[in-house]
Parts: sequence; structure tokens; C-alpha cells
Amino acid sequence: MNLVGKPIPRKEGRKKVTGQALYVDDLSFPGMLHGVTVRSSVPRGRIKNISFDQPPATAGGSDRNIPWNEFTIVTAKDIRDLKLGENYVALILNDQPYLADEVVNHPEEAIVLLAHPDKYLLEEARRHVSIEYEELPAIFSLHDSLAQKEIIWGDDNVFKKFLVDKGNVDDVWAKADFIVEGEYETGAQEQLYIENNGAIALANPNDGVTVWGSMQCPYYVHKALIKLFGLPEEKIRVIQTETGGGFGGKEEYPSMIAGHAALLAWKSGLPVKMIYDRAEDMVATTKRHPSRTLHKTAVNKDGKLLAMEIDFVIDGGAYCTLSPVVLSRGTIHAAGPYFCPDVRIKSTAVATNLPPHGAFRGFGAPQSIFALERHLDKVAKTVGLTPEEFRRRNFIHEGETTATNQTIREKVDMDGLLNRAFELSDYHAKRERFARENGSDRPSRIRKGIGFASFMHGAGFTGSGEVYLQSVVGAEATPEGLIRILAASTEIGQGTNTIFAQIAADALGLGYDLFEVAQPDTAQVPNSGPTVASRTCMIVGKLVESAVVGLKQTLLGSGLLKDQYTQAEFQRACGDYIEKFGRLQSFSKYQPPPNILWDDEKYQGDAYGAFAWAVYVAEVSVDLLTYEAHVDDFVAVQEVGRVINPVLAAGQIEGGIAQAIGMTLYENVVWENGRMKNGQMTNYIMPTAADIPPIRVYFEENPYAYGPDGAKGIGELPMDGPAPAILNAIENATGESFNQIPLMPEKMMEDLVGQG
Amino acid sequence: MMRLPKFDYRTPRTIAEAVKIIGDVGPDAQFVAGGTDLYPNMKRRQQTPGTVISVMRLSELNKIDGDGKSGLTIGASVLLSDICDHTIIKRDYPVIASAARTISTPLLRNMGTIGGNLLLDTRCNYYDQNYEWRKAINFCLKKDGDVCWVAPGSSKCWAVQSSDLVPVMVAIGAKFRLISTLGERMIDAAGFYNDDGIDYLKKRPDELLADIHLPPTDGWRASYQKLRRRGAFDFPVLGVAAWIRCGTGSGSDRVADAKIVLGAIAPSPLDVSEAARELIGQPFDAEHIHAAAEACYVKARPLDNTDFVMNWRKQMAREYTLRALQELL
Repeated sequence: MNLVGKPIPRKEGRKKVTGQALYVDDLSFPGMLHGVTVRSSVPRGRIKNISFDQPPATAGGSDRNIPWNEFTIVTAKDIRDLKLGENYVALILNDQPYLADEVVNHPEEAIVLLAHPDKYLLEEARRHVSIEYEELPAIFSLHDSLAQKEIIWGDDNVFKKFLVDKGNVDDVWAKADFIVEGEYETGAQEQLYIENNGAIALANPNDGVTVWGSMQCPYYVHKALIKLFGLPEEKIRVIQTETGGGFGGKEEYPSMIAGHAALLAWKSGLPVKMIYDRAEDMVATTKRHPSRTLHKTAVNKDGKLLAMEIDFVIDGGAYCTLSPVVLSRGTIHAAGPYFCPDVRIKSTAVATNLPPHGAFRGFGAPQSIFALERHLDKVAKTVGLTPEEFRRRNFIHEGETTATNQTIREKVDMDGLLNRAFELSDYHAKRERFARENGSDRPSRIRKGIGFASFMHGAGFTGSGEVYLQSVVGAEATPEGLIRILAASTEIGQGTNTIFAQIAADALGLGYDLFEVAQPDTAQVPNSGPTVASRTCMIVGKLVESAVVGLKQTLLGSGLLKDQYTQAEFQRACGDYIEKFGRLQSFSKYQPPPNILWDDEKYQGDAYGAFAWAVYVAEVSVDLLTYEAHVDDFVAVQEVGRVINPVLAAGQIEGGIAQAIGMTLYENVVWENGRMKNGQMTNYIMPTAADIPPIRVYFEENPYAYGPDGAKGIGELPMDGPAPAILNAIENATGESFNQIPLMPEKMMEDLVGQG
Repeated sequence: MMRLPKFDYRTPRTIAEAVKIIGDVGPDAQFVAGGTDLYPNMKRRQQTPGTVISVMRLSELNKIDGDGKSGLTIGASVLLSDICDHTIIKRDYPVIASAARTISTPLLRNMGTIGGNLLLDTRCNYYDQNYEWRKAINFCLKKDGDVCWVAPGSSKCWAVQSSDLVPVMVAIGAKFRLISTLGERMIDAAGFYNDDGIDYLKKRPDELLADIHLPPTDGWRASYQKLRRRGAFDFPVLGVAAWIRCGTGSGSDRVADAKIVLGAIAPSPLDVSEAARELIGQPFDAEHIHAAAEACYVKARPLDNTDFVMNWRKQMAREYTLRALQELL
């Protein structure tokens, strides 16, 4: 019908703006306790003693005696004593404990949990838990970890390695006209969702464990709690409350806070609420993986890529969490939307004693794409071509293969995207004008520059991931003929509920208001997989479409509905069916598109069902007296298949670009002995509206045959391009090549004039 | 979740009542105006008064009187947003309105007062942290500890004066009126701040800042330039207030008097007399402005206790002085 492609208002928008939407901290239960976490103050060490002290008699102010007997106290020992399950957060390697047992491996690691009805007294009590440590040597950078300055994890500090080998790069170096090398680094970044992490748990041996919380992936939490409590899956129930943003920061971490709240609830027998404040959320929860990439590229004199050798390393922090999959996505995206006959990508995720790094929008790809798109400007310069001409000679086309030997079967048109982006940004005229102005006899102290990046982002889980996930979506009709979509995919501000309803309504030719998306609750909805990897629209949206079509087919098969129907007839048919047969439900399970083959061993084959393609252009000004760079204009042209909701889609792109501008020029995580030193919004500088340029978003539509109404993924794409586009523009403005982000003014000053 | 500690809250209606309460309760009491500085500090346990006395209901502290001709008196409880929008302040003391407009965000300016801003606690990376963070480093000299992490070995606290209005008040020669049960006194803004991050005010704890007296605007002009990482929200990591008075009659092409005051680089505002000397008696032109800026660069010795590295902040002292003076050309 005609809802897809229209700016339909958000399903939950009215509730959010009128304050009716209930976030986890809005919920309360009779007898509820509040919970807090006591965390490690050292980066690495053995726990020698834990004591529960009293304030000194001389203490003034509000200090009063702590009635420790009133508190519920949980340590690692309780998980054993209460005969629960395993003390680890079930994910990939299961190396991260819920509560540190004997050793700590990073600052802010959880050691003791406290609960009490009085949240003020609870805070006083937290201050009086003393933990003694025998400190052990710690390492804080991926360089020290690679050099094995100290072995802090396993035998070699390595969580995971990948090798992608296409052709044989070793045979190419000798015949290359140019060999260009480069080194590139990216820093950590905090997700800064507007709502901090939080959970409420009810848990006891009779009823099992129920958790409400702010999260992206209810079934991840579900899986983790099954292991922690050693209970069967039906005894664990996880319900997502309205969630104020995630950006990956609520992919794996909610399993931790949910487990903590549930442990306190189990031991106390009462409901327990845990809500982090911003300071705790920033210092203790996951951030984007810092990275380092080495490039060695062989090119012939015509500017054709002959070979690429890439060494990509990410810092996983103290525990594995999702590092292997972040590494995987970064690895696969490392060679970009170019055809190169010989490619070798080696990648490694290493351990340090920083709090674990985790999922963050883009998931490794922004890091490796930053390196590539900076490097290609360098290669172009060496060959004597403009950045765009060099890329044009190497863009991948339909029928050619990516680094993993995936044959592109889409009509990809990178040249077309580049043309459009250049036209919209007036790239050529500006490039010429800036060169003239910057090179004049009396140049202004403000240098202008323009640069771009071309890139792609794969939608859905990597390789065979979607096949393993076996996602399921359900649809259910009420006797009144309303339809509820049953999926575990969460609305976290990105528009899940709205696009699901649009897709479903169009699939049946019915009105938008007939559709409702059920609250994700593991007792009520099937596992449609996690809300990550730009998969919600493309993968889960497709399942929504087939689930609701299943309802229609059931009705047609029953004879209660005819091929041609009005909305009223459809609704009546639902009522008649339910009266006659009971429930009217339909479930749809993931089927991979045909000819998708992936070899997990060799890391070869079809990494993604589809890619989104993009060219982003950034215009900057650099003040040569203060060394501050400002993004003045931004043009984002992308092909994401069919756009389901243009307002939500443009919002995704604008938000991602703003977040990426933060990563590039403003957001600098400062560590001191592994502890975040600027864990507050006053000193962790996220750009505001005053710092963000006009962001001009354009979509080219090339419907994808296996996406709902032709849609592909979109959520992570905008995180990939801005950083290299901005640094390419800064090089254009200053003539200086910067290869590290965040690029702060002081760093630019250091490089441009040396420590003066 | 950080929580406020328990405290007694008092709301006197007269200045006499307010100063009597603080006199009676003693050092465990503290005045509060908008609370935008004190309450977050209390949540982090940087300050832990047992009694908090609000000055927001003291009507005498809520007035603005006078104008540029007579001089202007601003009550200490006037909201920062009212300072930004006040017709006479905008007309006669635009530097005050524009400096106030750089403070934090509209929401906080709707709560925060001019008095609170002038008494703002000094700030430091090692101090402005929650209790757990400070405990993990064994606290610092300014609160609960005995080491200055910015300058270990120092017996002095280097926390930074971080108000945008303070350097302006010092530069233009404002005076503050303080009241206690012992009476009242006027003190020059220039003499009001100590170069010590802990004992940073020459105000006794029992004294109430009642109002701010701005001098008449006879022939001087002033400007303020603020350095921060982003275009809104942040505390200054450098503030430069510049004030000049040109001569009269035959000396009208020369600078008769000048003051350059740097904020946010030391525990107190830094009056760079060397910079003023480069200007006084000279034509107000690019050459002398550059000389003054150079003097500020030499004098600025920021420490590594705010955002941005110190060398860069030192470099910016030159650039921001230039900008502040150029604004007065």
C-alpha cells in the first residue's frame, strides 16, 4: 500500500513527549530495596580483605552509624553459598565474573553488592565498605598488551585473531609501482545514551527471576541469567522497559546490572532496583574499542590497487565481552568498497586492564574504515591522483569481489553516489577556492578545507550469524481485529515500533493504527534476535512482513476472508476465526537469502546479505592560532535500499554523524591508571547543537530484493564516514596529515609547531 | 546514584536573621543561593554542611539599582539569566551581560545567581569527582586527603578559580559588600580572592555577600573572552577580561589606564600588571596589544588540572588576550 516511504509519526512518540512512557526508574514495587555496587579502586590485584566499617566518631555532617545487619550484602561467595549457577556473564568466552572473586582485573570492577530500603543510607554505607588489595602490575594500552609487557589474560593477552587472505599479497610487492604504508589510531568513546543503565529484579526459588530494565537485547539478558542462576529458561523472564538510547552500550552491559539486581533480590527475597548515575555509568560500563591499524598498499602507476595488507588491532579491555565480533566486523570492513585482487587482513583483539570495551554503533567498522579512508588519501597523493580519481579507479562494481571474496550481486554505484555528493557539496569549486585562498600571499588564519570518505556497511549479523540466530517473529490478532507484532527487537529511540507497523500495515493493506508492537518480554515474545548490527529493519522487518502475511493466509485458508477485503472485513474475519478456532497467531522464522555461503574457518564468502553504500563530504575550518577545527558543512549521500520512514531515517543519519563528529574532534576519554578521569558531562566533551554543522542527508534508493519493501540496514552506517572525511578535509586545509582521533587542538598544535 | 546527605534547611526572610543563624550554627552551616554549585558538591561529598541557609528569600539581595552614570548595585541573589537580560546592564555594562551569558546553560542560569558565581568553589580534575573516585586515589589536599595530585609535594592546593564573572569584576574594579553579625564591610573584588585553592576567599564563613557595586562607566570599556572546548555549557579553561580607559583632551589617543585579568588558570584571578604596563601611556594599537598579549603569555602558568593540556592553554593566553583587546579597538 502506501505507508512505507512516508514520514509516519512515531508509535510511542506521544507517550514520550507527554511523560507517560515508563522508564525503569519510573517503576516501583511494594517493599522494594535499592541496590548499589562497590567497585575496585585498583586496576589489577588480589582482594585481601573486605570490611564493613563505621564512620569515625569524629566525622561531622550527615555521617551516622551504619546498621550493617539491615543490609543485604552479596559477594562472589554468595553465588556459591546460595548454590546458584556460574559466576560469569554468559556471552562468548564467559571470562567476566558478575562479582570479582579473589582477583580484580580493571578499575570499577564489581566486588560487593548492597541493598537497603533507604537509598540515602545505602550511599553512606557504600562509602564505608573497605577493600584491601595486593596490587599486581597492570597494562593500559594495546601497544603494551601486544608487546606482552605483562601477561594479564590467558597465555598471550589475545582474545581473538582473524586472518582474511585473498590471493597472495606476498607475490605482489615486487611488481608494484608504489608501495604506501601508514599507521592510524582511534580512541575510546562513551555511548552517552540519555538514560543511564538500570534494572529492577524480583527473584526467589519459587517464581524464578524476573527483570525489568533498559536494554537492547532481552534474550541476551535471559541467556546470561539462566547461567547465573542455574535455572531453566522458563524460570527466567526479562522485560524491556522504555529505553532512552543504547548505541551498543545496552547490548551486553544490561546482563551485568540485571544479574546484580537479581542476586540482591534473590538473597533479600524483595524486589531490588539498581539505577546508575552518570558518573558510575561512564566510568564502569563499556566504551568503543580503541584501535590501531597498519596499512601497506601496492598500487600501479595507473592508480589501480594491486595489494592491500592490513594489520588491525583493538583493545578489548580486561574481559572478552563482545570483542571477537567487534573485531570481526572491523576486519571485514577494513578493505572498504574497493576491488583489490590480493588482500591480507590480520586482526587481533587484545586485553588490557581498562574496563571492558564493548559494542558501540559501527562495531569495529568505524575504526578500520577511518584507517582505510585516511590511508587512501595518502596513496592517491603518492600516485599523483586526486583522492576522488584514485577511488573511482578502484570502486567495487557488481560482479566483483570484496576482501572476503564475496561477489557483489547488488547494483552498486559508488561513482553515482560520489557525483551526487560532490554536486550537493559543491566539492570541486570549493576545493579550488580553498586551495587558492590558503595558498595566497596573505592567507587568513582560518584555513578552509573539504574532504570526503566513501564506504560501505554490512547489514545484519556477519557471515553465518543470522543462520545461527534463527530469529523468529510472531503476529497475533485480537477478536477486535487488532494485530500485535511479537518480537524481542527493542525500540530504543531509533523507530523500531513505527517501521514494524508501517511494514506490517502495507503487507496486509490495512491501516497503521491497527498494529501494535508488543513490549519485549521473554515470556510473551519469541526471540527475534538482538537489536544490534543494523539488522532490525532489514532482517527482523522482513520477518514481521512474513508473520503478518501468515495471519492473512490463515484467514484465507479458513475461508473466513476473501482475496479482496476491506479493513472492516479483515477485522471481522479475525473475530470470526478466534471465535471458531481460539487463537489467531502466525510465526515466521529466518531463512537466509539464496546463495549466501560463508566459511567461518577461512573467513571467506558472503559476509553480509547486503551492504549500505555511502559517500560523505565534510567541510571544515581550522584556526591556525588556536588549532581548533570546526565542521562547517556536512553532506551525507547514501544508498540504503528502500527508505521505510524518511524522517526517522534522516534522524538516524544526522544523529550518527553528530556522534561521529564527537568521536573525531571532541570526545576524549582520559585514563589514569585505567580509570576514566573525565567521567562527567562537564569534562567528557560531547558536542552540543552549537558545535554541529548543518547536516544534509540524501538517500538514493535501490531496493534490496530480500529486505522488507526493499529496505537494508541503516543504524550504524553514519558512524563510519565522518571521521576520515573530516580528517581528510583538515589535511586539505592545513597540508598536514593527522592520523589519530580524537584530534584535539593540543594534539594539532603539537604536530603543527612541535611542543612550543 | 549520588544522593544528597541529610542537612537542615533554613529560609530566613531578613539579612539580620540570616547572619544570626550562621553565627549561631557556626562552621557547620553554609549559605546557598541557586545551589547549582553547592548541591552537586554535596552529592559528591566535597562539601558537607549540616545546615544550609538559603538566601533566596532575602528581598534586599534581589534588587538591581542605579545605572552607568551613578554606578550600579546588583543584589547577590539576582539570577544570572536576569543579569543577561537586564536592560541597564546590557546598555551600560555590556561586558557583564555578555560574560554572564557564557556561563553554563540557560537552565542553570535560571537557577544560578551572580553572588553564587562570584563565590564559586575552585575546581580541579582530582577534586571534582564523586566520592568513590576520590577515595580510589586516597583523596586530595582540598578535601579529605593530604596530597595535591596536580603538584605532588606541594603544600598548596592549585584548584582553579572557574567563574566567568570574577576576572571581569576584578578588571572593572567592582566592590563587594559583606554583612555579618559584626557589621558590614566593603571589599574590592581585586582583593577578595586568595591564591589558594582551599582558602580561596577573603570572606569569613559567617559573612554574607550582600551585593556587588559596579563603578560608574566614565570613559572605560571592557571585554571578556572565554576559552572552552565546545560552544556552550562548559566552565572556562581560560578567561581573559580586559579593561582600558583612554586619556582625555590631548592625551585622548593614549591609554590612560588598563587592566588585564586572567581567569581559570590559577586559584585566584591573575591581574597581569606587566600587560597593563605595555598599554598605559601608549597608543591603543596593534603593536601594543601584541606586547600586552605576549606579557599574558609569559605570565600564564596553567597547571594540568582542567580540560586541555597546559602548554596549549598557555599558548591560548596570548591569543585570547589579543581577542579581548581587539574587541576594544
